[in-house]
Amino acid sequence: MRGTDLIGLPVIGPDGSKHGRVLDVRLVQDGPLMGAYAALRIEGLVVGHHRVAAHLGYDRADVSGPWLVNLVVGLLTRGNRWLPWEQARLEGGVVRTDQPELEGVQPL
Amino acid sequence: MKKVLQVFLGVLTAIGGFVDIGDLVANALVGSRFGMSLAWVVAVGVIGICLFAEMSGRVAAVTGRGTFDLVRERLGPRAGLLNLVASMAVTFLTLAAEIGGVALAFELVSSVNYLLFVPLVAFLVWIVIWRMPFASMERMFGIAGLALLVFAVAVWQLGPDWGGLAHQATHPVVPDGEGHPTYWYYAIALFGAAMTPYEVFFFSSGAVEEKWTKKDLVIERVNVYIGFPLGGLLSLAIAVATFIVLFPEGVEVSRLDQVALPVVLGAGKVGFAFLIVGFVAATFGAALETALSSGYCIAQYLGWSWGKHLEPRKASRFHLVVLMSIIAGSMLVMTTLDPIKVTEYSIVFSAVALPLTYFPILVVANDSGYMGESVNSRFTNGLATVYLVLLTVVALTAIPLMLATKAGQ
Amino acid sequence: MTTGRRRDLALHLLDRQIIDTDGDAVGNVDDVEISEEGYVTALLVGPQALAPRLGGLLGQWLAFLSEGISRSSTAEPTRIGIDLVTDYGSAITVARSRAELGAHRNEDRARDYFIGRIPGADHARD
Repeated sequence: MRGTDLIGLPVIGPDGSKHGRVLDVRLVQDGPLMGAYAALRIEGLVVGHHRVAAHLGYDRADVSGPWLVNLVVGLLTRGNRWLPWEQARLEGGVVRTDQPELEGVQPL
Repeated sequence: MKKVLQVFLGVLTAIGGFVDIGDLVANALVGSRFGMSLAWVVAVGVIGICLFAEMSGRVAAVTGRGTFDLVRERLGPRAGLLNLVASMAVTFLTLAAEIGGVALAFELVSSVNYLLFVPLVAFLVWIVIWRMPFASMERMFGIAGLALLVFAVAVWQLGPDWGGLAHQATHPVVPDGEGHPTYWYYAIALFGAAMTPYEVFFFSSGAVEEKWTKKDLVIERVNVYIGFPLGGLLSLAIAVATFIVLFPEGVEVSRLDQVALPVVLGAGKVGFAFLIVGFVAATFGAALETALSSGYCIAQYLGWSWGKHLEPRKASRFHLVVLMSIIAGSMLVMTTLDPIKVTEYSIVFSAVALPLTYFPILVVANDSGYMGESVNSRFTNGLATVYLVLLTVVALTAIPLMLATKAGQ
Repeated sequence: MTTGRRRDLALHLLDRQIIDTDGDAVGNVDDVEISEEGYVTALLVGPQALAPRLGGLLGQWLAFLSEGISRSSTAEPTRIGIDLVTDYGSAITVARSRAELGAHRNEDRARDYFIGRIPGADHARD
């Protein structure tokens, strides 16, 4: 699988309603050592609606300012949610989950 | 002492390098039609380019990455590509205008049709990029461009009504016979001339070429904050010169010899010689910068190795792109499109394309993951917000105004 | 080295510049390869990896163009094992030269057919 195959897929809840789309894939470095670093494993998916806004990093990384951009991007990324990888199932072009509600995204 | 000399040369280079064919044409045209009533736009443009150049230079020095590397990273490959295509188109148009400008200057002294000089100019642009070290290239043409100070000398000699000029500049009104849409259209053209995207591509990629680090940021700021405003004053001198001589006669600048007229009247034959040297240096220098910028943009987007600091064998695709843009740019001039008209369009489209690179750089300049301590200050961000709004408004209104005024007629 | 460090794929990995042991540019991270178990196994570099991300006509055009230039029918991007990464920063550094990675075929072509033939191509003008 390629990493970007996941990005953009719709995320569907147990009742068939849509949580949004996969905006990003969170990787955690906790696998066996591969070269200089521990292997990167998929920890979960960032789910939401505005891809370009999410890729600016205002919702998760150390990006802040100026206020106008904070405001606009903040509004667009406010609804971003977190789906742990264990609770996600890949089924032919969609990501399904049994979670009716998703939590907010932890910042990095 | 060495440091002082370095700073001094850097400032001189920034002043001379500020003016290119866009500034020349826009200021001469605006001076002859609108007098000093658009002088405020030059000030707005100069503050804008200082802000943008300082930010992108700082980002380049801290991260070691060029503009389009970061544009793609922040916007993703799709929006990044759209951005690349738009920025490349404007840069290419500017390159063609600069090549045409050099050829026109040769025509002015030799009375041989400029089209015959285009292949020669193209070859010279390429050979300088191929052979000349980066720092001496930048310095030589920047400092030779200072010969354009002859416009200031000419203005002095012509002895204008200084009070009247100052009053016009500080109390701008649309002159009789010009409509409001035309006034605003030329405001955008003048703004686009002062704030051209390639200047930023070149400036930030140059910072990577010269291996700047955080330590060089003080010198960078001095160059920008002193050099660019003085360059802006120099471009205003052009507007004043054409205003004094051409405005009373009702002549609207559309040819290069009209731009030269005030210099000849004010500073004579010697002045004319200086004008030609300055004009060739400024447009030739900008042709080098735009040609290199087209290589920088594509190579950075696609992750190729790039730069003059490498031996060309190691950055072959970069050099191939530069060579092909020079060839294509000169072919565009050879179609006999009027270089002055090409310039006018290039500066208006510059204004349209600006937010596309300004916004991603602004975001990266606020990312402490990249920038650490060197993120934007509150003051910079305040000013940057004003310009974000301004650039967006300008970009959105430029094309409608161009259509409404039939490109300023 | 560090464990437990989190990185978001699009934010911190995709589209970053890859630098080789000699400090030369290898390419961008155009995509990553992920195993069945959910581990990142390799960085993928080249138009073959970028084209599907662009999608639509543009992607098809890029794929067609790159096949034409590289004259390869394999359409496989260059694969850089994740174990070769020595640093994740504003660029990603890997422990091989770009020749060893096989990531510079098109660069070689541009050099062999055009740029390398021009006198002065092997002088740095710094």
